[in-house]
Amino acid sequence: MARTTHDVLSVEWVRLELLRTAYSTRGGLFSRMDPRVVLAWYLLMALAPWFTHSTGVLALLFALGAVSVALARVGPLVLGLFLIGLLGNVVGLFAASFLFGGDLGTLVALAELNLKLGAVSMASMAAFVSLDPEKLSDALLWFRAPELLAFGVSYGYRMLPILVDEYVTVFEGQRLRHAPVERPGLLGWRVILQWCTLAVTAFYPIMLNTAKNVRTTVEALETRGFTYAAANPVGRRLRLASLRTAGLDWVVLVVSVVAVLAAYRLGALLPL
Amino acid sequence: MSTQVPPRPAEDERRGALRGTIDGIRRTELSTSQKLMIFVLSMSLFGLSNIILEIIPDPSIGPVDVSVSYMVFVPLTVAALFSPFWAALGAPLGEIVFTDLLMGDFSGLAEVEGFLQMFLAVFIAGSLVRNPRSRVQIAIASVVLVLVDKVLSAVVDLSKVWIGVEDAELVEGLPQSMLALETIGLGVDVIMSGVLLGAIPAMWLIPALHGKIEPLMGMRPRVPGEPIPGAAPRTPLFVGGALLLSVASFGFAFLEAFDISAGAFEPDFIDRFGSGFLLVAVAAIAVVLTVAVLLFRLSRRAAETAGS
Repeated sequence: MARTTHDVLSVEWVRLELLRTAYSTRGGLFSRMDPRVVLAWYLLMALAPWFTHSTGVLALLFALGAVSVALARVGPLVLGLFLIGLLGNVVGLFAASFLFGGDLGTLVALAELNLKLGAVSMASMAAFVSLDPEKLSDALLWFRAPELLAFGVSYGYRMLPILVDEYVTVFEGQRLRHAPVERPGLLGWRVILQWCTLAVTAFYPIMLNTAKNVRTTVEALETRGFTYAAANPVGRRLRLASLRTAGLDWVVLVVSVVAVLAAYRLGALLPL
Repeated sequence: MSTQVPPRPAEDERRGALRGTIDGIRRTELSTSQKLMIFVLSMSLFGLSNIILEIIPDPSIGPVDVSVSYMVFVPLTVAALFSPFWAALGAPLGEIVFTDLLMGDFSGLAEVEGFLQMFLAVFIAGSLVRNPRSRVQIAIASVVLVLVDKVLSAVVDLSKVWIGVEDAELVEGLPQSMLALETIGLGVDVIMSGVLLGAIPAMWLIPALHGKIEPLMGMRPRVPGEPIPGAAPRTPLFVGGALLLSVASFGFAFLEAFDISAGAFEPDFIDRFGSGFLLVAVAAIAVVLTVAVLLFRLSRRAAETAGS
């Protein structure tokens, strides 16, 4: 599915972008795969960078991560946050060690660590952007993760947009009922202080609302036998019956394994 | 626990340690659905607060981040008013599900240590609040929460750089600068997260919600001096100890792997790959399995108490 508008960086855009991420409406390779295979693929890609100190191997694994991010069609918000975090980390640590008498050698040493962390987080972006809540929680259940975890995942993804909406409504309502500050003060600190106070006080009604919502949800769940159904083998089998692996899953997994092994072999030969 | 609300106690009136059933009808034990409610409440509220912080830009002075890392008062409120154990189980999961998975910030095994740190921090801090109306206890608890979490994560961070960078001590200035950064970061975090967005809001919010939010969830407000609801005396200690051990073993696993692969830097690829790979993999799997089994046991126990 194509997405056209991302012209303004606003809270609303961030919210919509989160929703797109949560429900993986962008398509992409991994969203067509079986969730269990995607999790296995993720484990492979996330563990692989930790077993080497060779910069060449890490650079190849980083490139592999970049390819999978492109294949998964990760959105601009998530990608932007990742890039800012990675660059900020490099620049910050370099500046600090420069103060303590380091030189360009420090930057090289840091490149190794950041390539490692970057490769791991790109794999996680590719995998989790492509899984919608239902698939992810089914896959977790299949791997015998605790039921609370699987439940938390599917509940969290569903409730997040509602909660954020509710919070924004309360916050805007409070802001409307407050007079703007008379003088902004140095660097507008009074404005910032008022915003922070409002952001915190908005939690009072939000907590009461959420408590009510949670009670309704849990009572509805327990009426349907949530706690017992999750532990019952028949119920579990019924829920997981829809999971199927197809040819595509195995092709992707095998190609990734081969690519990681090739990265280990070729990376050692690279003059880095 | 019934939905009946007892008359509000006068400020700080202690009723002594009540055990077992209260006046023959109400119980201090939580039922399964009440545990689930506390868990879900803590998860969604902490997740929401993390999303809000994610939208706010992070200011930083040079390499030191002066932003707020999380809103401490949110999990502390749930822990102090309901049950520390179930709030502590829910809060880090909310962080993982809402922010890390959604924002693509999910770091795999590193999330396990994040979960353990946050769990321990919220549980310890929540258990410190014996009286939800005492502002002193609340202030202490919120600072303790940040301290426990940040000291643990600083230790893990330092060891990570040690392991991630092959010859950290040979790179001039790196260890010192990391240590300095972590120390400054800890101080900033205690002030920003622990006091400004921790103690101050919590001191207002927890007494304000006490007695108002519990009836909405079908529970009776906590009375000062009562045993903490939902905290079986032996199990949390045991679990806490086990979790601490697993954090430690996590660090050790990587340390050992570092020693071995640093020692053998020949082009003999299979050898290096074999030893390092197996050791780390086995250790990591063991830690994850232990944690998984523990969590599984806990959810089992929750189911059992419901059955009885």
